[in-house]
Amino acid sequence: MQSGFMDKFLSNEPGSASRNFLISALWWSLWAMGAGLLAGIEFSAPDLIHNIPQLSMPHLRMWHVNGVAIGWLSMAYVGAIYYMVPSLCKNQLWSERLGNFTMWAWNIVMVGAFANLLNGNTEGREYAELPALLDYMVVVALITIAINVYGTVATRKVKKLYVSLWYFLGSMFWFPLVYIIGQRTFVALPGLNDGIVGWFYGHNILGMWFTTMGVGMMYYLLPRLTKAPLYSHGLSMLGFWGISLFYAPTGTHHITQSPVPEWLKAIAIISSVFLFVPVITVLTNFFMTMKGKWGMVATDLPLRFAVTSAGFYLITCMQGPFQATRWVNWYLHFSQWVVGHAHLALLGTFSFISTSAFYYVMPRLTGRPWYSEGLIRSHYWLKFLGFLLMMVSLTTAGLIQAAGWAFGVPVDQWSLQIRPYWFLRAISGVMIVLGQFIFAYNVFKSLYSKEAKAQSAKVMEAVKA
Amino acid sequence: MNSNPYRVGSIAVFTTFIIIIFSTVFMPMVLFQPKPTDSRNHYDVEASAGDALRGRQIYVREGCFYCHSQFTRLQDRGYGPLVKAGDFVYEAPHVLGTARTGPDLTNEGNKFPAQWQKAHLIEPRSVKPGSIMPSFSYLSDRDMNDLVCYIQTLGNGRTVNAYVEAPDEYMPSTPSGQALLARRHVDTNSDAAANAGRGIFTQNCAACHGLEGWGNGPNSISLEKKPANFSRPFYKQYSDQMWFYRISEGVAGTRMPRFGEILTEEQRWYLVAYLKTLPQDKEVTIDSLAQLDKLTPTKLPVLTHQQWEPHSGGH
Repeated sequence: MQSGFMDKFLSNEPGSASRNFLISALWWSLWAMGAGLLAGIEFSAPDLIHNIPQLSMPHLRMWHVNGVAIGWLSMAYVGAIYYMVPSLCKNQLWSERLGNFTMWAWNIVMVGAFANLLNGNTEGREYAELPALLDYMVVVALITIAINVYGTVATRKVKKLYVSLWYFLGSMFWFPLVYIIGQRTFVALPGLNDGIVGWFYGHNILGMWFTTMGVGMMYYLLPRLTKAPLYSHGLSMLGFWGISLFYAPTGTHHITQSPVPEWLKAIAIISSVFLFVPVITVLTNFFMTMKGKWGMVATDLPLRFAVTSAGFYLITCMQGPFQATRWVNWYLHFSQWVVGHAHLALLGTFSFISTSAFYYVMPRLTGRPWYSEGLIRSHYWLKFLGFLLMMVSLTTAGLIQAAGWAFGVPVDQWSLQIRPYWFLRAISGVMIVLGQFIFAYNVFKSLYSKEAKAQSAKVMEAVKA
Repeated sequence: MNSNPYRVGSIAVFTTFIIIIFSTVFMPMVLFQPKPTDSRNHYDVEASAGDALRGRQIYVREGCFYCHSQFTRLQDRGYGPLVKAGDFVYEAPHVLGTARTGPDLTNEGNKFPAQWQKAHLIEPRSVKPGSIMPSFSYLSDRDMNDLVCYIQTLGNGRTVNAYVEAPDEYMPSTPSGQALLARRHVDTNSDAAANAGRGIFTQNCAACHGLEGWGNGPNSISLEKKPANFSRPFYKQYSDQMWFYRISEGVAGTRMPRFGEILTEEQRWYLVAYLKTLPQDKEVTIDSLAQLDKLTPTKLPVLTHQQWEPHSGGH
């Protein structure tokens, strides 16, 4: 017999790991997005907060990036696949206790990240800022997730593996390796080599984790939500192999104008352009699956989030190869255009698909319906319109900056001209964060309020009777 | 279980990924090992000035590299000499930077006095109105001094001892500069070329720069940024490429246009030949309005259509 302590903290209840992961993700998203908003406001009001190192813009930025990437998105992804993988394999998660253990480990990492990054305790490597101890813990967490996912698939009750599983299994193999290489914890590489490995990691946290997991989730959600079969399994395989071939070598396109070897830049840029192939296959598959079902987005809100995500994925992936080519990069690099592109990928595409998964999975895990559909709708519109405003303001600011660099306009001059766009960006941040808080309120009311508990008691009684 | 249908797939995923890691992570480590150059940053400054290496750690800790890059590119006008691969050998972790919300700091060292840098860190807007840089007033005095010391070492291996030259893509040190010279067939030291250039100057430049190039054209009175006076001895050190660059790209923030989009390369080289004859040993100063080139009130010529457009009309 397990003790009460074990059942409380490492619960064996089916679905508990998935639920706990999703709720932790939501919790960290509030902190990380809030930090992003505050940092955004500080662009317009630089003297708003004075003499508090923890709230100075660069420290907030570190925490914002790590918080949304490792906290919100990654935890939501893991929570979602802990539901999706067993459902695709028609069995239970291999070990619910191990899943809950990972959940605690990951939350401890996030507490550590919060405390360290806001205090400037950083390794100084973009996207790999976490101190060494936390790096080890992330690796342990990733390996336990991999064990759990591979274990679930190994004990599956169906013969064939659906394409989502290919993506999840691939990501769980790639990403721990990418993460270990990218941290550079034990090595002090010479500057440019450090940059090459750094951008191998910096781009592949996107390419071999957020994209592959996110696309896998889209493959799961779109057919389920529309109740239409996937358009083509052949195309889905082509997309999978395209991503796994062309995504990983693209990192150096972040430093095409620095003195790194030309052959490496060529590999990076050519593979970036070749990414058109998997992206167009994947999206053709999605949009053909949606054929005749587009009207459903009016009433089916998780589907609306998922379709919006696929739409932004299309724009992201048209922008990406475009700005990776040498001439466009020559003009646009170092400007806020790139910041806009990063938000298009992580907020527009992957945050929307995580939210869709959250709205789809949570009622099926807990058996409790959503407290308010109106709140979901307001979450959608705040997030969608807020994001559009952010994208437009950052892109415009980026074009002004890029023109400034290209035509030799002094920084002192163009930095004044982009002030209105910083202000618009701050407003967009208010909308997005407000949407996220509405989301959190809805979750709280649905799961933890008295009414929700009373309702679920009624359901239980009905089931018994 | 006999013959797992997914064995080939998993082996393929594994192999692909190992090959990619090998070619884009390990191969660069082996093949790309630049030798340290003398133009790198030298952090071994006098101890009394502060600890530049510790300052670098503070630069990283405070996240300066999120808004300030540290590599100059061809198109970054006025940011000092370009970097070489060997300049970065001792830079770990790298601070190349990803976005420029502020200026590039590759060659920032000694552009401003240390006191200015310190004041700028404590209260950026007191010395740079309109700046959106956060205040770092919370740094201890030691941290601040070390950080300033680090900033003052940036680019000190690339100290410039000569007048600024045209950007590298105009100079023979780059392939594009070599191609530019290879295309040139105008002898910029010849009187014939200078004479040809004089005509182009009169048509395109004299309205602002004056017929003699003293910066006293009739249009100069209405310009806030006064046109250059080419009789200054300073212009004697201008290289052909510098003249060519100035003509081609104009002067941002002034009415001087980018003549690269107006005149052909040949015309611009003729112009260079003429401009090179203008600097004098003693500058001709223009001190009063009376010295401006005046246009004599024009009597409109009575031209027939045929005289006005001699090559097209008259049929």
